[in-house]
Amino acid sequence: MSKKIIKIIAISMVLVLCVSFISGCQSREDTILIGVLAPLSGSEAVYGKDMVNCYQLAVDEINAAGGVLGKKLKLYTADDGCDPNMATQAAAKVISKGVDFVVGGYGSSAIIPTMQSFYDEGLLLLISNANSTDITKQGFNQSFMINSPGTHAVQALTELCKSLGTKKVALIHQGDAYTKNLSDICSAELPKSGFEIVAVEVMDKGAPDVSAIVTAIRNSGADFVYWCGYHADGSNVIKQLRNGGYTGEICAGDGSASVDLITACGESGEGVYLTSPPIAEFTNEAGKKFTEDYEKKFKNKPGNYASLNYDTIYILKEAIEQTGTLEMEAIRDYIQGIEFNGLSGVIKFTPDREPELSNFIILKITNGTFELVNP
Amino acid sequence: MSFWEVILQQIINGLILGSFYALIALGYSMVYGIIKLLNFAHGDIYMTGAFACLSVFGVLSGLIPGWPGIILSIVAAMIFSGCIGYLAQRFAYRPLLGAPRLSLLITAIGVSLIIYNSVMVVTNSQPLFFTSGIDNAAGIQIGNITITYIQIILISVSALLMIGLTLFIGRTMTGKAMRAISLDKETCKLMGINVNKIIGLTFIIGSALAAIAGGLACVYYGNVQYNMGYTIGIKAFTAAVIGGIGSIPGAMLGGLLLGLLEAIGTQFLGSSWKDVFAFGLLILILILRPNGLLGKSEIERM
Repeated sequence: MSKKIIKIIAISMVLVLCVSFISGCQSREDTILIGVLAPLSGSEAVYGKDMVNCYQLAVDEINAAGGVLGKKLKLYTADDGCDPNMATQAAAKVISKGVDFVVGGYGSSAIIPTMQSFYDEGLLLLISNANSTDITKQGFNQSFMINSPGTHAVQALTELCKSLGTKKVALIHQGDAYTKNLSDICSAELPKSGFEIVAVEVMDKGAPDVSAIVTAIRNSGADFVYWCGYHADGSNVIKQLRNGGYTGEICAGDGSASVDLITACGESGEGVYLTSPPIAEFTNEAGKKFTEDYEKKFKNKPGNYASLNYDTIYILKEAIEQTGTLEMEAIRDYIQGIEFNGLSGVIKFTPDREPELSNFIILKITNGTFELVNP
Repeated sequence: MSFWEVILQQIINGLILGSFYALIALGYSMVYGIIKLLNFAHGDIYMTGAFACLSVFGVLSGLIPGWPGIILSIVAAMIFSGCIGYLAQRFAYRPLLGAPRLSLLITAIGVSLIIYNSVMVVTNSQPLFFTSGIDNAAGIQIGNITITYIQIILISVSALLMIGLTLFIGRTMTGKAMRAISLDKETCKLMGINVNKIIGLTFIIGSALAAIAGGLACVYYGNVQYNMGYTIGIKAFTAAVIGGIGSIPGAMLGGLLLGLLEAIGTQFLGSSWKDVFAFGLLILILILRPNGLLGKSEIERM
């Protein structure tokens, strides 16, 4: 008796599966489904929302202009919570939905555990927001990293130091993985260009007093201070450097790329540089137009990495159009050789599928706003 | 900068940082002295003081700008944080006064987490910035040494508060009652002292002092975030222990000493080693004087 029931259930389940599969295929004949992994819950949810908005904006534009190869683009978003466990579940969800491509990835720790499964399924993966060099070290040849790694920030910094005639550099970081890594790259790379690192200091998060560090830096003779930390404590550092009598140049890293830095620093902030991610409104004309469109549609400013998210969809579009297929291998090989001119500048890939050119821009606080400078 | 200029500047830096530690350490020390509780929520009370000052000044600054507005905001912050301190005492600590000391300690950690996480949720873990319109950079320049006016105000205010508190504890009847309770709570009850009222008052004074520190930090550093009380709370607690917990002059001495050690450590060993240096020396002090610098050795009656 019970065996019979199990048989019936099993058969009906297979039937349901077949029907849903067929119906799924039917409805998808004229669409290209793009899976999105983004944090929609948890502490990073604000950034995840921004990512999805940018992808959606690009997709809507492309669809309004007739789609790709006569097909419409469609997004299927799964919440990765910027968390390794949630991300692997989200990856499974996206794969079972039968998507054609996958984009997204905020935070390297969340995207790395998913990469094997996309590789196994033969799904092309464009990682737009995470930027640890560990991503490409995984060695999956269908995964591309769109965002510049920290080494590129230091390239931009080196150019800035050269143009300012800097001699002695002091670094301040906050002791966590991200800011310490940036400081370490500086310590390794800047001396190669002839700059002397005279001090590496640590500021504890949420412990605002850096006056002792300021005195130590003044005493070290540094004429350039690079703040590797976040904007929450950045204003303190900049103000106390100025109030403590430091007169050299100050530059902040991308963790401080926020207009809050300007308001919080006030007078002391004038003339401070920033090695910034490619914030769309500063990069080029297309970036400005994108910013306006975004503000019109979503009623707030796009995030710091919005240009990269937008470019990611257009890279995919170009690759599909040029190869005339949805075949993963063909598209992968096309993207490997692409020279894409987007909101974030020119995107090209190294043989390791990392961006070849730095997308960092240099901003300077001038009269209470950020201004693009080209060192 | 010459060697002596650097040393002198670092001493000034250390004194400023030390006065913050000292103001907060006072609260730890007072509460411990009277009910033998390590009030771990004290760092978070400091943080609520900073937030209260910032919020009140945000409203007031249009009407009363500059120092009068700041002073009013700090007074408001004292009242606000005093209330939080009192409420924590009334509802979390008082019911447990008879319980084992570990339960009280865990309760204190609980209160700390409640305040910390509530503020984190309310502020969405974003920092808030304080713009007072006061020129923080204005000051005196002696050779290469910079002292800003606001630093002078800071040190004077904390010095005055510490003297005031010492006089209050030493010279008034309430102060006498506090000292008496710290010696023997039960006898005090028999002598007609309203023990609960005095304990409540201790919490209010301690919290108000932390709020002053929070308000001053708000003006001096200019940014306020939910985690600002964590590190400073631990440092101030350390300062209280070094000075001899329960001793008011000890808390001040411990705070200033810790600030100075950190500044000197930053100068000569680098900021990544400053805590190792400061705490290494402090351990040494505790080995030599287990009750802290000014603590009295207690004889436990068995």
